[in-house]
Amino acid sequence: MSKPLQDNICESQLFERLYKKHAKNLHDFLYYKFGDHLNPQDQVQEAFIKLWQNCSKIKPDKAKSYLFTTASNLTLNVLAHKKVVLKHTQQPQKHTTNVTPEFVLQEKEYHIKLQKAISNLTEAQRVAFLMNRVEGKRFKEIAELLDISVKGVEKRIYGALKKLREEIDEL
Amino acid sequence: MKREELIKKWLDNNLNTEEQNAFEQLEDYNDLIKMDATLKGFKAPEFSINQSYEALKPKLKPEQPASKQWIKPLLRIAAVLAIALSVYMYTSNLDTEVNTIIAEQTTIALPDNSTVELNANSSLSFNEKSWSDNREVKLNGEAFFKVAKGQKFDVITEEGIVSVLGTQFNVKQRESYFEVTCYEGLVGVTHNNKTIKLKPGHTFTFIDGKLLANEKENAVQPIWLHGESSFKSVALKHVIAEFENQYSIKIHTDQIDTSRLFTGSFTHNNLDLALKSVTIPLNLSYSISGKSILLKRE
Repeated sequence: MSKPLQDNICESQLFERLYKKHAKNLHDFLYYKFGDHLNPQDQVQEAFIKLWQNCSKIKPDKAKSYLFTTASNLTLNVLAHKKVVLKHTQQPQKHTTNVTPEFVLQEKEYHIKLQKAISNLTEAQRVAFLMNRVEGKRFKEIAELLDISVKGVEKRIYGALKKLREEIDEL
Repeated sequence: MKREELIKKWLDNNLNTEEQNAFEQLEDYNDLIKMDATLKGFKAPEFSINQSYEALKPKLKPEQPASKQWIKPLLRIAAVLAIALSVYMYTSNLDTEVNTIIAEQTTIALPDNSTVELNANSSLSFNEKSWSDNREVKLNGEAFFKVAKGQKFDVITEEGIVSVLGTQFNVKQRESYFEVTCYEGLVGVTHNNKTIKLKPGHTFTFIDGKLLANEKENAVQPIWLHGESSFKSVALKHVIAEFENQYSIKIHTDQIDTSRLFTGSFTHNNLDLALKSVTIPLNLSYSISGKSILLKRE
């Protein structure tokens, strides 16, 4: 945690530290929550600019929640304008080509199933689950990031896993 | 239940070797691993912290100087003013204090033309700022007051409070010795919550916890103003104490009885003469060695 003595985010060194600490998590959070089409990179920048503009009013230990809330809100604002677009692109789109030649077809099918299943998860489940599985974060880290309990994270992730399994078996 | 626990632990990267083995025995182990491997493909696009920060930096610059530039010098000025103000407030409210050392006497003019003669080894303090509302001095030692006519005038000592309107009086407060003599006007002495009014020529003496009879004083001014100390039936130890206030010497009295009463006076400017005037009436002899004097029986 940042030292409580440095009470001013306007200090550019402290601001840079905050950026380096939170920017990537914030980006991933936005990506897993809202998908690609809203340009999480831009939203991250916007959130940090907002933080800078209000730097004198926000204590360093509140900066993380401020950033996450602001970025979510900003993204929701954009979503309101892009409602139509959303209908067409409902889920994170990303493929790997890392598959053995024999099972290309099967693998491709499996991919699509999984992708669909992921897009059917709730936002909360998806964020926690992918932060855990893809970014390799422990439950505790995610709990801190989202300001919820470790039990809550566990529930979301396990729930997500169960749901994915069920949906894939169904299809 | 066991299965769920294992999977949760696996999710949290928290399996020990034994549990890892148990986990690998699960029937759907392969399914889980397969899904996990595929999930990695959904990784968020690469996000370079340093690059994006460099991109962000130029957007941050204009904000800071605009809001801060005028605030800093302003704060400095405010700080200097605050310090100056507090120093002024502090010093102006500070009591004025006057001290005399052994064998020194001094005259102090109070803000309202009252005067104080301060005897040796005494201290007097008063507050110049609040003088017009509150004529009040703190005394430790002996002093003679000529108080200008006006509101109540208080002399605060450890033994009691002396309050007057406009008058001349002497206050002496030493170790277990408290004496007030009124020379003109009317003096009120508050001691142990009792107030006694002194008319001109009267003395209030309180020595070693005993109130002594008031005696008529004929002098117009206390005799110490003229370079002498005088005593009427006062225990020798108080005389010796006063002696040590007027001459910077140490008097040893181990061999004699210091509770004997002494009536008489001694001068402030001749040590030999002063010693004689104390010792001869009491049939004592003395020997001087440097700064210390030993009193003996004849």
